[in-house]
Amino acid sequence: MQQKRIKWIVLPIVAALIIALVAGILVWYFQNITKQGTIDSRRHLEEVYGQVTNSFKAFLHAQWGFLESCDGYHVIDAQVTNDVYLEDFVKDKKEFWGFDDFFFLNKDKEYMTIDGTRGAEPLKLEGVSDNLIDEGKNIMAGETINGKKVIMIAIATRDKNADYEYNGFHFDALGVSYTNTALATTLNANAFGNRETSDTEAGAQCYIVDKEGDVLLSTQAGGGVMNNYVKFIGNLLGKDELSQITSDLAAQNNGYLEYDDRAGNRRCLIYMPIDFDDYEMPIEFEGYSILGDVPQRLVSQGFMQAQRSTMNVFIVIFSLIIAALVAVVIANTIVERKRNRNELKYREKMFDVLSNNVNDIFLMLDTQSRTVDYISPNINRLLGINVKDAQADIRVMGACAIDEDIIVPDEELRNIPLNESRQWETEYMHQTTGEHRSYRVTIYHMNIDGLEKYIIVMSDRTLDKRLNRQLQQAFDAAKSANEAKSNFLSNMSHDIRTPMNAIVGFSVLLEHNADDAELVREYTRKIMASSHHLLSLINDVLDMSKIESGKTNLTIARFSLPDLLEELNVIINPQARAKNQEFSIRLKGTPPDELMGDRLRLNQVLINILSNAVKYTPEGGKIEFTVQEIDQADNSKQYSKLRFIVKDNGIGMSEEYLKEIFEPFSRAKNSVVNSIQGTGLGMAITKNLVDLMGGIISVESELGKGSTFTIELTFATVDDEDRDVWFANRISRMLVADDEEDICLNIREMMRETGVDVSYVTDGASAVDQAVRAHDLKSDFDVILLDWKMPGLDGVQTARLIREKIGKDVPILVLTSFDWSDIEKEARDAGIDAFMPKPFFTSTFFQTIRPLFVDTTTQLPDEPDEKFEHALEGKMFLVAEDNEINAELLTEMLALEGAKCEVAPNGKIAVEMFEKAEAGYYDMVFMDVQMPVMNGYEATRAIRALDREDAKTIPIIAMTANTFADDVKDAFDAGMDAHLAKPIDMDAVRRTVARFSKD
Amino acid sequence: MGKKTILTILITFAVVFVLIGTLVIVDVSLAETAVVELPKLDPTALNILGKKTDLAKPYMTKIFDLYREATGEKLNIMPIEDDIYEDVALKMLQNGEMADIFLHFHNADLEMFDAEENFLDLRDEAWVSDLTDSAKAYCTDAEGDLLGLPFWESSVSGCYYNKTLLEENGLDPASNQKEFDTLCAMLEDQGITPICWGGNGCGWMAQFGMDPVFADDAALLERLNRNETSYQDIAAIRDMVDWIDRAEAEGWFGAKSLETGWDQISPMLSSGEAAMTFIWDTWFYTDFVDGKYKKEDFALMPIFMGTADEGTYEGGNLNMMMVNKNSERKDDALDFLRFCATPENYNEAFKGISTVSVFKGQTTNIQSHMVSEAMASIERLERVSTASTKIIGYSGDKVMLAINAMFGKNGISAAECIRRLDEDRKAEAKLLGAEGF
Repeated sequence: MQQKRIKWIVLPIVAALIIALVAGILVWYFQNITKQGTIDSRRHLEEVYGQVTNSFKAFLHAQWGFLESCDGYHVIDAQVTNDVYLEDFVKDKKEFWGFDDFFFLNKDKEYMTIDGTRGAEPLKLEGVSDNLIDEGKNIMAGETINGKKVIMIAIATRDKNADYEYNGFHFDALGVSYTNTALATTLNANAFGNRETSDTEAGAQCYIVDKEGDVLLSTQAGGGVMNNYVKFIGNLLGKDELSQITSDLAAQNNGYLEYDDRAGNRRCLIYMPIDFDDYEMPIEFEGYSILGDVPQRLVSQGFMQAQRSTMNVFIVIFSLIIAALVAVVIANTIVERKRNRNELKYREKMFDVLSNNVNDIFLMLDTQSRTVDYISPNINRLLGINVKDAQADIRVMGACAIDEDIIVPDEELRNIPLNESRQWETEYMHQTTGEHRSYRVTIYHMNIDGLEKYIIVMSDRTLDKRLNRQLQQAFDAAKSANEAKSNFLSNMSHDIRTPMNAIVGFSVLLEHNADDAELVREYTRKIMASSHHLLSLINDVLDMSKIESGKTNLTIARFSLPDLLEELNVIINPQARAKNQEFSIRLKGTPPDELMGDRLRLNQVLINILSNAVKYTPEGGKIEFTVQEIDQADNSKQYSKLRFIVKDNGIGMSEEYLKEIFEPFSRAKNSVVNSIQGTGLGMAITKNLVDLMGGIISVESELGKGSTFTIELTFATVDDEDRDVWFANRISRMLVADDEEDICLNIREMMRETGVDVSYVTDGASAVDQAVRAHDLKSDFDVILLDWKMPGLDGVQTARLIREKIGKDVPILVLTSFDWSDIEKEARDAGIDAFMPKPFFTSTFFQTIRPLFVDTTTQLPDEPDEKFEHALEGKMFLVAEDNEINAELLTEMLALEGAKCEVAPNGKIAVEMFEKAEAGYYDMVFMDVQMPVMNGYEATRAIRALDREDAKTIPIIAMTANTFADDVKDAFDAGMDAHLAKPIDMDAVRRTVARFSKD
Repeated sequence: MGKKTILTILITFAVVFVLIGTLVIVDVSLAETAVVELPKLDPTALNILGKKTDLAKPYMTKIFDLYREATGEKLNIMPIEDDIYEDVALKMLQNGEMADIFLHFHNADLEMFDAEENFLDLRDEAWVSDLTDSAKAYCTDAEGDLLGLPFWESSVSGCYYNKTLLEENGLDPASNQKEFDTLCAMLEDQGITPICWGGNGCGWMAQFGMDPVFADDAALLERLNRNETSYQDIAAIRDMVDWIDRAEAEGWFGAKSLETGWDQISPMLSSGEAAMTFIWDTWFYTDFVDGKYKKEDFALMPIFMGTADEGTYEGGNLNMMMVNKNSERKDDALDFLRFCATPENYNEAFKGISTVSVFKGQTTNIQSHMVSEAMASIERLERVSTASTKIIGYSGDKVMLAINAMFGKNGISAAECIRRLDEDRKAEAKLLGAEGF
């Protein structure tokens, strides 16, 4: 910038210096050449008018010669010998010379013309002395005859003593008169021709003037009107020049000067005395000068032409130099401008790109016209305003304004002082989308290159505002959570202390009443109940903590929906029955049997909700669990969207609590709820797990009327089994009996895809009739499926009648959502082949009936716990446990089961102990995870890495308080075979050990 | 409204208009008729008819008084308002009631009075020899009849120049057209307006250029007045208009010639702003106001306007006393004229009057030095005022307007100017009812 400034200062100075130098050279040149021109002009004029003078003298001599010849030849002895001859002679000469008249003069200056006319008055012969004729001098003088100005040229007669006479007139001299016009030709300077110049400039003139400047003869057109040259020229000359010419003429000096006429034309003036010394016949002509007055352009035409040419050359060269300089400057300027333009374009482009990628809007307005000089193109994206529309009229932005005064009135704009700004917050609405955006508008009143502009920066504050809102919401939430946690801690203090109080209290009582076996069992049972409650409390807290910390991962695996529902039924149904509640599971649509998902988490979610339903529904209440397949828009077979609905008619929830039901540590505040144990984390965990699975959970509830929880989840599906398996097993038609027709229709719909024809009836008697009729027609149903609970004949009674009438060939299954263990013996006695849990699933159905077609022996689904009662007997376990109490507890509990163990206080020792033991010494390893020196995972890997055969096969079972799915996974990844959670559940231990027992 | 109704209304209107128009015309006629009130002749006296202003001139009243004193005869002076004078006189002539002596300026209007038929030819009167040539020529018609006794103040119109100013600038007056042009050019060179040209109402100036054309060629004048030729056909007229056009273009009339009127001539000349003008000598004694230059600084040279190489002067317009040929007292009238032409009487009458001499024996009048100094030239180059007085339809003002139209960069051409001069002249002649137009 500094360099540019210096450049723009130096360049003009250098240019001015060059111009001044060239101008100086030109001035010097022209001054010198003009001076030389003046000398040349004078020399030229002197030469020309010298010739004119000589020519004029020669003319006069010729005239005198002519007059002398008249005297010599025609005036003899004082008498004109032959007047007629003289008249002819004069006439010839007049034609030759062009004189006006021929005169005879006497000493009194009286005259007679050749035609004999005598003059009325004597001639004046101005400048001629009276005795001139007496002296016999030649004469040339101005005269006015009859009002006509003439030049009189005369000579005295040669014989002074003779009396000359012509027509009676005695004369002493002879003369001729010439008009000025006739004589003017003798003064014309051929060098300048007779060129008449322009209307505003006289041509070259020549005068014969006396010492005072009186004009005797001139070459002016018409002649005669100039009587004194000095007076005439006096107005045009300077004082010095006038003085010079006056004195020069008087002194008979040569002179030269130049002057400008009134039109400004330059003229040259030369004057030279006419000197007759060189001639033999002197005349009284002293004091006369010849004077040339010539336009300078005629005098030095060649010189001036050369001067002009030189000047033209100079001008051309100088112009070329200037043009070259200008061209260089222009080129530089163009390059500079182009560079600036490119830079400007680049900047504009960059600015456009930048502005397109930010949400700030930039404008520049002219303060006077309010025209838009610039507007960032992102205005279209941000506010939906066309850029061209905004450029045409900025007021279009007013349409986006939320506030009426969004566009600052002109008056207020004008009030912003120069170099100051004004700022305010406002909100705009997108013209197309209606989106609201917040802006901080700043208007700067600035002077840019002498022009006053408003620069408007609209800084987008939308995100800030949104963040602020979110922060506020987060703050509120945190505050609320904090309050909830405080409440929770308060509750937890109560909830934890309550079971702990029972545990501690009953432990004390246990100690005091150790001898009373009945009391010991009673106290132990209560201690265990309190412990389990405390454990569930801890599990929930830990679960929630893990979910919130984002450490919960889903384990997606194939699972059976029927199995899941059966499991739920197994868990919930007893609870419901315990409260004398009616619990039912319904199926709507045809949900797939096999799904891909996290069965464990889904189970947890549904158990939470169902448990709550049981918990908060009074005795005798009703709980409905419905699973519904939702039609998907794309009819995708790869995914299945299921809706799980848990509806109860329990105590319901208030609107206030509904708002925070899914908030952690929240519990409804009423006496009923307070009487129910809970952590307040169940629904929060449920919500988070549903979210984690990409589902939606919602709740509708009304105090005193019950609640409905709805969960929608999408699962990947598993390919269905081949329908041919049904035909392969000779199942083509079946009879269904259920008092709920919807269930019948649902079963028929589900079986449609298998190709099995389903007939249904809604009561037991009809089922018997149908079965008998088919049997009579020798077209027995391949399978008969009976609901257990039906009005009239129930499922068992119906089955018994059917068996009675058609025999044992047709398999009869009972469909029930209840625990059939109570009726199992009666049912089998009645001829029922198998039980099937509600709801109906084709897969479950197939699995249930297939054995019937292979082996008619009834297969019970589960083995009794008695099978595992002795699973631990005689077993030797290696127990890796750093906690001595837990180690002692486990040792004692194993001892109670008839098993032995050796305890290693850390993983490293466990490895060493295993390594030292003989193969088969240890039957299994119970491995804690968190241990000093070496944790359980490392120890497992170390054992598996041992170079001995049993190291690869010995069952290693995790026995740890790390109970999360990830923990389980990590255990398996480390090489363990099973996972048992602390606190130790001996039933689970037995089952697990039984699983891995070799015997 | 029926057609008949409309027709009736139209006819009614037409009748009303005709009646009103008739009344107006009658009224105008009556009014015009009423103006012409013919004076009564006095049979007991010598009746002299003239314009009111003319008869009131001091030399006129003087001569009337002298006559009455000398003869005891009774004179009936019949002054008529100037603007109706011609009409009254013509009416009187038509009525056979013409006065014994009738004063007239011998302009073109005289034709209406048929001088040959109605007035005496006075060429044989003794006093004729005492008339100056100029005066005699003025009073003589084309047939050589001397129509009247010129008893009037006279002047010489010419180019009056500031001789002092010329002298100061080393210049002499011109003696021919070429010198005059040179003189103008040299004055122009000196920054002096050569000619004070009165384009604003000074209509007389152009007539000076025309005088030589028609005064020198009476036949040409007759042809022109018979509409047998026109200005366009006359080379000298074309020369004159060309010269005026060139002079204006050269700047010889100055930059404000169109605005220059009667009142500006004196200041322009007396200040030295202009060097010359075309006017008459008595003007210097009636209107010129001395300034830087006085009337003594002025001299007279001929007018050069492209029509006469040696220039021209215009003699004065003389009022002449004509004798009614049909008058019973024509002898008394001739006696009265002889009384007026007696040297002692006219010298007494014109005593102290500034005028160019009309009689050779005129000695008591005051003749300007300008005229006196140029007398030789005047005698040689003076023409009778011809253009303005003899050309039928001539109007000095219209001539000046046509010439003015030629001035300036956007002015009409000289040929167009001449065409307009002809048109104006012919139109005026036609208006006058001149034959041939």
